[in-house]
Amino acid sequence: MSTLDVEIQLLAVVVAVACALPGVFLVLRRLALMSDAISHSILLGIVLAFFWVQDLAHPFLVLAATATGVLTVALVEALHRTRRVKEDAAIALVFPALFSMAVLLIARYAGDVHLDVDAVLLGEIAFSPFRRLEVAGMDLGPRSLWLMAVILVLNIVALAVFWKELKVSTFDAGLAAAMGFSPALIHYGFMGLVSVTAVGAFDAVGSILVVALMIAPPAAAWLLTDRLPVMVVLSGALAALSAVAGFWAARAIDASIAGSMAAMAGVVFLAALLFAPDRGVVAGVRRRARQRLDFARTMLMVHLLNHEGSARARVENQMDHLQEHLRWSPEFARRVVRRAERQGLLERRPGGRLRLTPLGREEARHRMVR
Amino acid sequence: MIRSESGAPAPAIEVNDLTVAYGEQPVLWDIDLTIRQGSLTAIVGPNGAGKTTLIKAVLELVPRAAGRVEVLGRPYREARGEVAYVPQRGSVDWDFPTSVLDVVLMGTYGRLGWIRRPGRRERREAMEALEKVGMEAFADRQISQLSGGQQQRVFLARALVQEARIHLMDEPFQGVDARTEKAIVEVLRELRARGDTVVCVHHALQTVREYFDEVAILNVRMIAAGPVDEAFTEQNLRLAYGGRVPFLQGVTGFEVPGDGP
Repeated sequence: MSTLDVEIQLLAVVVAVACALPGVFLVLRRLALMSDAISHSILLGIVLAFFWVQDLAHPFLVLAATATGVLTVALVEALHRTRRVKEDAAIALVFPALFSMAVLLIARYAGDVHLDVDAVLLGEIAFSPFRRLEVAGMDLGPRSLWLMAVILVLNIVALAVFWKELKVSTFDAGLAAAMGFSPALIHYGFMGLVSVTAVGAFDAVGSILVVALMIAPPAAAWLLTDRLPVMVVLSGALAALSAVAGFWAARAIDASIAGSMAAMAGVVFLAALLFAPDRGVVAGVRRRARQRLDFARTMLMVHLLNHEGSARARVENQMDHLQEHLRWSPEFARRVVRRAERQGLLERRPGGRLRLTPLGREEARHRMVR
Repeated sequence: MIRSESGAPAPAIEVNDLTVAYGEQPVLWDIDLTIRQGSLTAIVGPNGAGKTTLIKAVLELVPRAAGRVEVLGRPYREARGEVAYVPQRGSVDWDFPTSVLDVVLMGTYGRLGWIRRPGRRERREAMEALEKVGMEAFADRQISQLSGGQQQRVFLARALVQEARIHLMDEPFQGVDARTEKAIVEVLRELRARGDTVVCVHHALQTVREYFDEVAILNVRMIAAGPVDEAFTEQNLRLAYGGRVPFLQGVTGFEVPGDGP
């Protein structure tokens, strides 16, 4: 691995983790789509600030872009408050307006500078290491790595310091307000944080893929845990994993690194959706299958109990007759009987007759009473 | 007991000429209400009567179009520490990734103020509150695994750790099991016994007489308010709920005129 590879991966990991941390609260506050809106509309701030200072590396760009992000949130809420449009429609109206203004401005006035539309959409993490931060002639590493590291630290500190305020205003905004924690203040402070993060990540991964890095890792983490602190740490870990896996996937198929990172975040989410121990799809299917078998076993035992000692017991309580009487397929009947047998609830007698054990008899009676 | 300058106890809550409107649609019209300290008060009224809005207006969660609200003789924002709030159970997302103890601890946040975190002392208080509502065994349980009644008891425990003297509860009996209902009533009576004031938005008219001392009957306007014996009458309920309401029969505990022997 060359130094360049290491730097790119480091940047990818820092970007992904910095996005995933506020992403946890975006998901919990049901504001996932707001991150998409912000990551697009910040472009207008970047373009306008660029016209002002004529320097793409000026810190003023970050500030202006963050302000545009917060403005987006305010505009969406103002539009929603008119009660003429729903919130999702308000989001879909506001950010394309701001984004298209930015695209038009770039096409008309800034076509010859580095702000081109491809870079805007997908970023260019592979070229980021070429823009170095030099202080007094010393090379300190890629500039965007420093910017992103600062934003990551800012996110960690903000979440740590305002942890309980974010938590209570997310879970129960009414209680938070009654206690004097202004939900509006917390909301806009938090959206400012999301905006700064989106601005920082924009350079590396562009405006479309930020949303994948903000939402997919927390959404996956929520399937794997029901503890908030664990969810935050896990989101960061899954984001880092997606970043590194994305880098190598891009290397293998010679594709966009940012695109691969987002795709890997999607793969990680899909894996969690399918295989999460409790809430995964596979776990759900297995649980239902087990419940079906359990219920069938109980039905079988009640059937055996009902006919026990009767004249027809010889016919009814016969392995081969289950298909006929309970309308089970031979395969299913065998599985149910094996299950009950393994649990010591019944025994197979010679000639295919089934008999309840004392334990099974007690269990069947107990189930019937309930 | 907090007293006003004249020496008489200040009312727990004093509402004067309160009007709340969403847009141009008034939800509460010119409400006057005095809730005395140490009382158990039920707010009743049909759906859309503005019961929840009245509580939210006291807590300054909704803007007032007109009127004045005082808590213990002061504006709410100065009396915040004296007030605990139990919102409707359905107003929060119970899939939120957190534990029972953590939700109860949220009751201490107001006292802690910004940034400070709950410590060992708050944890102990939260456990004690859970014991009071019979939920101590569930402290580490994920909140999505609770039944409706258990959720309500967790909310009640959260109100208890607020160490408030006025408790505003929005439908604490909504959809709970008999055991929870009994536990809640017991806690309410304990609170009253130590001089606290409790105000509940309440739906079940048949239990008003048994659980509460005072009642406020509301339907956008205040229909009647006062001791249950005086205000909770057939006639006032008819005014609030409209004329033909068969379920009112016998609810007030008064004989319907003409039905006697």
